[in-house]
Amino acid sequence: MNRRDFFRRFALGIGGVALSSLLAKDAFAASAFAANPFKGLLDAPHFAPKAKRIIYLFMSGGPSQVDLFDYKPLLNKMNGQDLPESVRNGQRLTGMSAHQATLPIAGSIFNFAQHGKSGAWVSDLMPWTAKMADELCFIKSLHTEAINHDPAITFFQTGSQLAGRPSMGAWLSYGLGSANQNLPAFVVLISKDRIDQPLYARLWGNGFLPSTHQGVQFRSGKDPVLYLANPNGISGESRRKMLDRMAELHALQFKDLGDPEINSRVAQYELAYRMQTSVPEIMDISKESESVFELYGPEAKNPGSFAANCILARRMAERDVRFIQLYHPGWDHHGNLPNGIRRQCGDVDRASYALITDLKQRGLLDDTLVVWGGEFGRTNYSQGKLTATDYGRDHHPRCFTAWMAGGGVKPGISFGATDDYGYSVVQDPVHVHDLQATILHLMGIDHEKLTYKFQGRYYRLTDVHGQVVRNILA
Amino acid sequence: MALRPVRILFAWLLLGLLSREAASGATSPDKINFSRDILPILSDNCYQCHGPDEPARKAKLRFDTREGAFRVKDGKAVIVPGKSAESELIRRITTTDADDLMPPLKSNRKLTPNQIQTLKRWVEQGAQWSKHWAFDPPQRPELPKIKDKRWAHNGIDAFILTRLEKEKLKPAPEARKETLLRRVTLDLTGLPPTLAEIDAFLADKSPNAYEKAVDRLLASPRYGERMATDWLDIARYADTHGYQMDRYRSMWPYRDWVIKAFNQNLKFDQFITWQLAGDLLPNPTKDQRLATAFNRLHMQNEEGGIVEEEYRVAYVVDRVNTMGTAFLGLTMECCRCHDHKFDPITQREFYSMSAFFQNIDESGQTSYFTGAMPVPTLLLSDNTTDAKLAELDRKIKEKEQQLPGLREQARESFEHWLTTKTNKLEIPGLVGSFAFDEIVSGKVTNAADPGKPATVNENPKLVPGKSGQCAELDGENGFTFPGLGHFTRADPFSLSLWVQTPSHAPRFVIAHHSIAPIDAGSRGYELLLEDGRVAVGLHHMWPGNSLKVISKEPVPTNEWVHVTVTYDGSSRAAGVKIYMNRSLVALEVIRDGLYKDITYEGSEPNLAIGFRMRDNGFKGGRVDDFRIFNRELTSLEVTHVSGRTDFADSWNAAGSNMTKVQREGMLDFYFATIYPPAQQLRDELHKLRQEQSGLINPIPEAMVMKETAQPRPAYILKRGAYDMHGDQISADTPAALPPFPADQPRNRLGLAQWLLSPDYPLTSRVTVNRAWQMMFGKGVVETSDNFGRQGAFPTHPELLDWLARDFVDTGWDMKRLLKLIALSATYRQSSHASPEVLARDPGNELLARGPVRRLTAEMLRDQALAVSGLIVEKIGGPSVKPYQPEGLWEEKAMGAPHYDQGQGDELHRRSLYTFWKRTVPHPAMIAFDASERNVCTVRRQSTSTPLQALVLLNDTQIVEAARRLGERMLKEGGKTLDEQVAWTFRLVTDRRPTARETKVLTQLFVEQRNLFAGDQPATSKFLSVGESRADSALNPADLVAAAVLAEAVLNHDEAVMRR
Repeated sequence: MNRRDFFRRFALGIGGVALSSLLAKDAFAASAFAANPFKGLLDAPHFAPKAKRIIYLFMSGGPSQVDLFDYKPLLNKMNGQDLPESVRNGQRLTGMSAHQATLPIAGSIFNFAQHGKSGAWVSDLMPWTAKMADELCFIKSLHTEAINHDPAITFFQTGSQLAGRPSMGAWLSYGLGSANQNLPAFVVLISKDRIDQPLYARLWGNGFLPSTHQGVQFRSGKDPVLYLANPNGISGESRRKMLDRMAELHALQFKDLGDPEINSRVAQYELAYRMQTSVPEIMDISKESESVFELYGPEAKNPGSFAANCILARRMAERDVRFIQLYHPGWDHHGNLPNGIRRQCGDVDRASYALITDLKQRGLLDDTLVVWGGEFGRTNYSQGKLTATDYGRDHHPRCFTAWMAGGGVKPGISFGATDDYGYSVVQDPVHVHDLQATILHLMGIDHEKLTYKFQGRYYRLTDVHGQVVRNILA
Repeated sequence: MALRPVRILFAWLLLGLLSREAASGATSPDKINFSRDILPILSDNCYQCHGPDEPARKAKLRFDTREGAFRVKDGKAVIVPGKSAESELIRRITTTDADDLMPPLKSNRKLTPNQIQTLKRWVEQGAQWSKHWAFDPPQRPELPKIKDKRWAHNGIDAFILTRLEKEKLKPAPEARKETLLRRVTLDLTGLPPTLAEIDAFLADKSPNAYEKAVDRLLASPRYGERMATDWLDIARYADTHGYQMDRYRSMWPYRDWVIKAFNQNLKFDQFITWQLAGDLLPNPTKDQRLATAFNRLHMQNEEGGIVEEEYRVAYVVDRVNTMGTAFLGLTMECCRCHDHKFDPITQREFYSMSAFFQNIDESGQTSYFTGAMPVPTLLLSDNTTDAKLAELDRKIKEKEQQLPGLREQARESFEHWLTTKTNKLEIPGLVGSFAFDEIVSGKVTNAADPGKPATVNENPKLVPGKSGQCAELDGENGFTFPGLGHFTRADPFSLSLWVQTPSHAPRFVIAHHSIAPIDAGSRGYELLLEDGRVAVGLHHMWPGNSLKVISKEPVPTNEWVHVTVTYDGSSRAAGVKIYMNRSLVALEVIRDGLYKDITYEGSEPNLAIGFRMRDNGFKGGRVDDFRIFNRELTSLEVTHVSGRTDFADSWNAAGSNMTKVQREGMLDFYFATIYPPAQQLRDELHKLRQEQSGLINPIPEAMVMKETAQPRPAYILKRGAYDMHGDQISADTPAALPPFPADQPRNRLGLAQWLLSPDYPLTSRVTVNRAWQMMFGKGVVETSDNFGRQGAFPTHPELLDWLARDFVDTGWDMKRLLKLIALSATYRQSSHASPEVLARDPGNELLARGPVRRLTAEMLRDQALAVSGLIVEKIGGPSVKPYQPEGLWEEKAMGAPHYDQGQGDELHRRSLYTFWKRTVPHPAMIAFDASERNVCTVRRQSTSTPLQALVLLNDTQIVEAARRLGERMLKEGGKTLDEQVAWTFRLVTDRRPTARETKVLTQLFVEQRNLFAGDQPATSKFLSVGESRADSALNPADLVAAAVLAEAVLNHDEAVMRR
């Protein structure tokens, strides 16, 4: 345990240990102790960060890269033909399509065109995204190991397919702490009414890190953070007076026992009280200007929609919330993909564009990293019946597309490439751990150095893997 | 929690800040202890590259063995005892040459100056080498001689005091009686003492008053609940499966067994044995088998499309990891992919251990489309049902034995029947007959029942076939047969058809009555070709609750073959016959363990031919003349349905002209279809089997271990990947630990014996350490989850060994152990420390004062329920759903399951009965660091966060309890406000408030009353929080003020902490 671990531990009030007399002797310690209880492990990042905060737009379910960004005309030419074994080359399939009599290649029914100066390929499903192609860095060569949702999404968010590790946001909170005294470092927003595949609390859990670092879900509705609202009938004045008396009682208790844990608890109650103001304030978008609502589209006034959550994400970015994690579920299109993906794109396309534009207009894009993507891609062949207007696609781990924008990422590039079948990566593969390493890097963290010792082993987000993808850094 | 070893912290503190006072043994200048001082440095800084992991080892140099560390190569000695200057080790850690420096810069490890000093001194002192302490058997140490003989109550205190005397520290005085009672009551029962209990204890002036209290607590049924709460963390017990849908699993009978076992003080060696291997004990009881659920409580995956083997392996690995953490205190999971980096366990040894845990008939994917419990299971029937089942079983056996004897009896009436039978040969029981000659409007005619034609699926082609047209299939298309073939396992039935297969593929589905194979646990029945061999299965849940047979020989390819399957309704493999081209064929039995029904409880799928969801259809195959019978055909009938005339010939032959074969065949037919006594017996048998099935089907099941007859082949898995088999291995234990007992079987029972042998170094130490952790907040070894080289060194090694030896020698008696700890003077000390002691020993390693801890998630809620009087104390039963913020399940979980909040008593049960949904665990519990229950956890974090404040202030559960506590305050607390607030404060914290505290409390009350006095709407809103009704006889403003006061007290340091 180094000094920072040590003070982190006691600053959080773990263990019930009196340090006051020790701290008096150690200026460093005293300052660490007096500081924000949300402070991170690192006094300073490992190197100058390009991004101060992240907005991660997680497209849960696995969007179809071959219908959105990875243009493969060959698939249209070979539409309906059985996928050659030489292309699949031993890739395991999920049990959902592994037993199909044939694996008919399914060309996208959507039209692709190149956009912007960068000439990025985007299908007509995403007209708004196409407009901002020059702001985006498309990574077309992402690949993962998992072929099913639960392990794949757990892998993306925690670096391990099996439950139990801390999530990416928890790692960042652990490393960097919160930059806002009144809000958690790691906030989660979930689009309502879109769940097909489930989300799990462990995706924003703290794993073995102290639970201070767990993501706090903000929800639309009257209790935006669980248990935030006073009980029915209890006014702010009643609560304030009660807390004042409690503080007096605790002062007496501290005088009697000298245990700094007591003062730490008082500080937590005060912070909780401040959150009762700061959280509803940030969640109330009614005072946003009409032009903002216009930018984000008609759904923006519908609380809990992806568009509304994007406005919240921007508001949180303005207040320096470190890791803002949005989940937009509903991308798991095993069948009836065309209808499903149209709906999903309707949800996210304009709002994503609006978010980037909004951040840019406010000068926040330079130091805010925005990431858009799912847990895996989808197959180039149809799961189930292929018709002229309909098909489905199974999970595909070998290649998929995500985009990044803002803080420290080269805008207007497409990185990596897949083969003509859109089946395998042929250039510049980016593994999930590479992406995680790159995200940490942009936040000023060396992914090999941010570790936590648990059961004798030094764990990190990227396990023992991960290379920063230097070619996409601005 | 996952903090670094406190030993290091402690050393750092003392070395870094208090070196002037360097008092601890760890830093005493005289004698280096290798295991305590050196091994942790080597392990943490060197073993990554120079440790047990051979493939990762650099320069072939290792520091985890004596031979390695003292290697001399090319004239350079790594370590020269007594001469640090000549030791390469010391040179390399002190060099200024960045290329030579160890550990290398890029390793992110750096030795501190103190560590370097320690290593130097060790070499100077002769570089003594020993084993890692935890791998040596515990020795029973002599009780140390102590100067102050009055203080100690038992052996524990001798060890603690010796150390304190060495450190020149005095133990703290005994805690106030109230404080002590609160401490021990919370520790042993998870609930605070009642006022009556406090008063009784204060009034009891007898010298053994405290001992009596401890005995009372250990005898309380609450003790079992308290102990179970910790054990359920270790067993990763939950009420759902954990993956994807995260469905309900009804495993609470295991939880209830744990409570019972603790309350009955089942000896801990038995407690371990039953859980690891209860099924392997001679004539195991239901409880012994239920206990083995311990190995099955890991998460279970039902996500469609997963690779079954991948998750089967994950489950086995989880069992090994859990066993490792729970009993060995070792991090076995490190060796799944490679040799352990720090501890002497190889990857091969990991898989040798896992070979003990994989010999059950399970599936890595559990059923998505049915609610079946993952197999193997134990039927949790009560005694009445068991008696009924035994009676049914007896009757069924009796009738089964009677039936064959009736055949000879039938001869006489058979001869008579031969002379009187009609000319028209008719096979009874035909319910479906499909010639596939034409498709009209998507239907195929059913010659047996025109009202129930077959329905075409995805356009199968009709081509010339065996007779007329036949169906040619493409693997995705075929036919369904609505309304036909909905058989239960008690129903005899037969299927016959002509089949032509294009090849011998691994798997072709010909016909089936099911939703899917793996996604439904294969529920239903099926007729398959597997590598050309005809396979027939009847399944409740594959593979542990299934019947499956397969023909020894394959059918020929590209030739018409007539296949008939008959089944007698017995649920046994012997009851299935397969005929190929009219001949009965030899079968291999794949499974013969069907004990629940093959139906879908009301929503039956259609019988189908040619295709199945997520399965290999009969691609390129042809079928013709499909018939379904609701009885078991005789062999003569089989020839008939295959189109031959044997039966007709026999039928038409005059009685006296029949050959013997014809006569016997005809007798079979007569006996099977006409002979009234046999028909009646069959009918009775059928009814009994239906009754049996009806009785068994609703019986709940528990996942348990049930050893297969043959061990499953076990392999090293390269890089831990499920599909990368390395060498085949067999069940064995790691070489660094004591040898597997020669007289024990190589199974889990033998493994349990191995863990429990008296000299075994880990199990007893790990167990007593957890008991210590339970009472003191942290173990003698702080890393109770890691006794390996990266774990913490015990603060009191002799004490740990003494406790371990004592525990084993006195028969693994947990209550005795906890009583010993509770009665020690060490435990009874006041936790109040002088600033000097706080400064000397902030982490309370030396135990010169009593332990302080925050209450656990369960204790905090249970305390509120208890002091308010709302608590409903009822042991066991299904988990309950108390208050929870709305919409949590719906917004995240698949299929938007609704959290159906409980009613009445269910809202106020103890927290260990709160429903645990792994993907959306109860947020108030998680806020207070409850374990997620995904993997084995032996210690929780104890944090302090603003979310905790929000829970304790605003959770309906707490607010309701506070209101009830307020009611009690007004009604029971005395006459004056001062008395009332003091009463409340004491009820919650067990002590009387000081005058100043009373003043603040009364001020709080008055302020709140003034706020609410004129505010009727707010008052009534607040008083209606929660399902229980407020007492309308009380003045509402008084009650609100009392409730707010009660809530403040429930949030007070002394309520949240146990001091």
